[in-house]
Amino acid sequence: MNLGGAVPRTLALPRTWGRVETTTWIGGGVGLLLAFLTLYPTAMLFYGSLSDAPVGTLGRLTLAHYRAAYTDPATYRLMWNSFVFGAGTAALSVLFGLVLAWITVRTNAPGRTLFELVALAPNVLPPLLVATSWTLVLSPRIGLLNVALLRPLGLPPLNVYSLGGMIFVEALVTTPLAFLIIAAALRAMDPSLEEAARLAGSSAVDVARRVTVPLVVPAVLAAATLNFVRAIESFDVPAVIALPAGIEVFSTKVFREALAAFPPNHNLAATYSVSQLAIAVAFVILYRRVTGISERYATITGRGYRPHLIDLGPWRYVASAVALLVLGMLVLVPFLVLLYVSLIPFYEIPSWDVLPRLTLRHYAFLLESDRVARALRVSLALALGGATVAMLLASLVAYFAVRRRTALSGLLEALSFVPWAFPGTALAIGLLWAYVQIPLPIYGTVWILLIGYVTRFLPYGLRSMTATMVQVHRELEESSRVCGAGFVRTFQRVLLPLLRPGFLAGWAILFTIYVREFSTSVFLYTPRAEPIGPLLYHLWQDAQPGRMAALGVVVSALCVVVVGLTRRWVGQGAGRS
Amino acid sequence: MKRLGLTAQVCLVVLALAVAALGQAPPEVVAGARREGRVVVYGSLEADAFDVIRKVYEQRYGVSVEYWRAASTRVLDRALAEHRSGRGLFDVVLTNSGPMKILKAQGVFQRYSSPSYEEFPPATRDRDGILSPSYRVVVVSVLYNTRLVRPEEAPKTYADLLDPKWRGKVVMPDPTLHTTTATWLVNLRRVLGGQWRSFVERLGQQVGLVESFLPVVQKLVAGEYALGVTYVKYVRQFSEAPLDYVRLNPVLADAHLVALAKNAPHPNAGKLLIDTLTSRAGLIALAQTGEFVLVPGIYPPIKDAEKLRILLMEDLDEQEFRKARDELGPLFRRR
Repeated sequence: MNLGGAVPRTLALPRTWGRVETTTWIGGGVGLLLAFLTLYPTAMLFYGSLSDAPVGTLGRLTLAHYRAAYTDPATYRLMWNSFVFGAGTAALSVLFGLVLAWITVRTNAPGRTLFELVALAPNVLPPLLVATSWTLVLSPRIGLLNVALLRPLGLPPLNVYSLGGMIFVEALVTTPLAFLIIAAALRAMDPSLEEAARLAGSSAVDVARRVTVPLVVPAVLAAATLNFVRAIESFDVPAVIALPAGIEVFSTKVFREALAAFPPNHNLAATYSVSQLAIAVAFVILYRRVTGISERYATITGRGYRPHLIDLGPWRYVASAVALLVLGMLVLVPFLVLLYVSLIPFYEIPSWDVLPRLTLRHYAFLLESDRVARALRVSLALALGGATVAMLLASLVAYFAVRRRTALSGLLEALSFVPWAFPGTALAIGLLWAYVQIPLPIYGTVWILLIGYVTRFLPYGLRSMTATMVQVHRELEESSRVCGAGFVRTFQRVLLPLLRPGFLAGWAILFTIYVREFSTSVFLYTPRAEPIGPLLYHLWQDAQPGRMAALGVVVSALCVVVVGLTRRWVGQGAGRS
Repeated sequence: MKRLGLTAQVCLVVLALAVAALGQAPPEVVAGARREGRVVVYGSLEADAFDVIRKVYEQRYGVSVEYWRAASTRVLDRALAEHRSGRGLFDVVLTNSGPMKILKAQGVFQRYSSPSYEEFPPATRDRDGILSPSYRVVVVSVLYNTRLVRPEEAPKTYADLLDPKWRGKVVMPDPTLHTTTATWLVNLRRVLGGQWRSFVERLGQQVGLVESFLPVVQKLVAGEYALGVTYVKYVRQFSEAPLDYVRLNPVLADAHLVALAKNAPHPNAGKLLIDTLTSRAGLIALAQTGEFVLVPGIYPPIKDAEKLRILLMEDLDEQEFRKARDELGPLFRRR
């Protein structure tokens, strides 16, 4: 398929009216759909921040909520806390993700296939459960590490109930996303660049520093951007750690001062969310600076490609040990704690005395309970359907945002970043009121969950698609169009197959998020269709950590299978190409 | 398993009820409920406890129950939001009296007087005939982990909680987050009189904070804290866990109410659910799960439950709650 280089630029975009029109229509349609999905609930939220009446009713405009929020000195303290939390999480998660991705994709360290599978596993562990697990390991009084190791050695206990503890746990939660993005970029890299450097006499370290690192910078920045915003809006980990520790971050403030007020004050929640919007907008600008020069990094050309593995010699065992250490924190510790909690009646520090009390009763509950069976059905349907719809939409948006640099692209990208800015709870209320007004059977059905999932997590799919899209050279698509194929045909026959690694990586992320999504679902679901996320939360609320852990183990195992199959499929695709 | 044991215990009661109470409701209501096919309930009663009522109801009427369980603030929020939008999906709401009174004031409910209300003392009944009598109360006390605290070491009075030896070892819900805890602290004024201010100030120095009453139990059972302010009923609901409670005198309790939604999609099924929940037999079944119900002579199977002197808390309205938050917040949240 090495036709691209021969095609003159002037022929690249067909001028036929019909074809241009199709593209314009589709681009415009995608834009309108995205605008409806994101701007409508956003507008409702903005309206809420300026209205003196509860969301859903008409009121007069007022700035009173802004005055209340921004004359409070505590607001600025919590902004600083949030910033430290977000930046710390972004830095640590990207470090973990980069180290794992590099060892897994680019080196000959033994056990790479296993690392790759295992590195994706924490993505399937609900953050609420990860946070709970780590509090049981690092709690000053009963933390396993403190009781079993530090106390006997006379060392002071580690305290998970601190800003450092929060950053550590949130980084573990967000590392899989960084890993997926960076690994996809490393996998898609043109090895000839590195070969050229090596032939020119550079050492392996120099090649890494001068060629590999600059090539993965966009992916690293994309991952850091995403994880920063993800930490800023995250509520699961702060709920488990920040609330008891008395540390205020944005999401706890929104929850505590507004959503948990009596009665709830959605107006103030909306007001605080506006600040988060501002943060996200700043990061869209940052992201566009990175991808604006993306042409330089387009490394999938019409030639066959296969990344070159670096021979680490004896150091490959050290690399494996490092990977295992990171994976131990990422997967083994939370999963073993989860497994342990699922097998005991009530939590107690592990000891030999516990053995006779081990029980499968929490798993028996899963089999007996109609509620669990229904939740599994609902969440699986939403995860399969939602991830597919979201990735198709993301592919189209990514195409029009990255490839066709028109007035529409900036707008599309900005629109698709909107859902990032909201805490899940605030967006959910926006969605609730946005769709409660529409006379279609959406509110109070699973459809509102589907719309909510697609809207809120579109950026995940989109980042995955754009990161891959910028690396697929225009020449392939141009060849197809020069040969007479229209937009739909080119998109379907040329782009989608080439983008398959990104599509499937994004699909796998979305599946694992949707199957246990919590903070949006909890506001939008109805008792008829309770998904797994709210069910896990309700089991926890009802002080049933054993049942929660058992369900967590089952759902995680299911996701590991799905992710494993997806990776295999991607692997086969890469093999064929 | 404790839950299974509990289920087994109530099973007989349930079966007895299903037969005994048949035919009490007007036939047209029963027929209407069967046509409607289901009932949607929003409430804050723990799911396992509600299952007892669900079983009785489903067996008796063959109408399915959809129960959405959440904290009272969330129940209030959801019911109010749906009502305001004119798209209410619920038939029945059951939660603490504070939120119920706000919902009533907002016009969320319709008038309904179940035949079973006749059994309750007139003082507990709603003059407007909208809210149910307080058919059960939730009793707040101090629970402790018996592996960490021997009964003789445990506090005996409210003032004992301030002993320096418990500093950092007491857990309670954040009163700026948890409405019942704020109500509890404010109502302690009636118990402690002039000591109240200094008690609350010093308590703020002693405690760790969580979101609500059940996470308190989590922390206690795990051993992260020795003492915790939470509901007495959890001693029964977590009967296998190393938990006991302090027999404070008096203990404060919050009333729970139930009511029928104004625009209930399944009004007949809703009425029957309220009848079942507030019937003598329904309450006796609930008592088995650890609930303190308003039936003379019936106590939950919790040691010394019958000896407790229970003082009903006064509800805070929206303004009083805000004032309490402003006053208590700085004492409990120092960062």
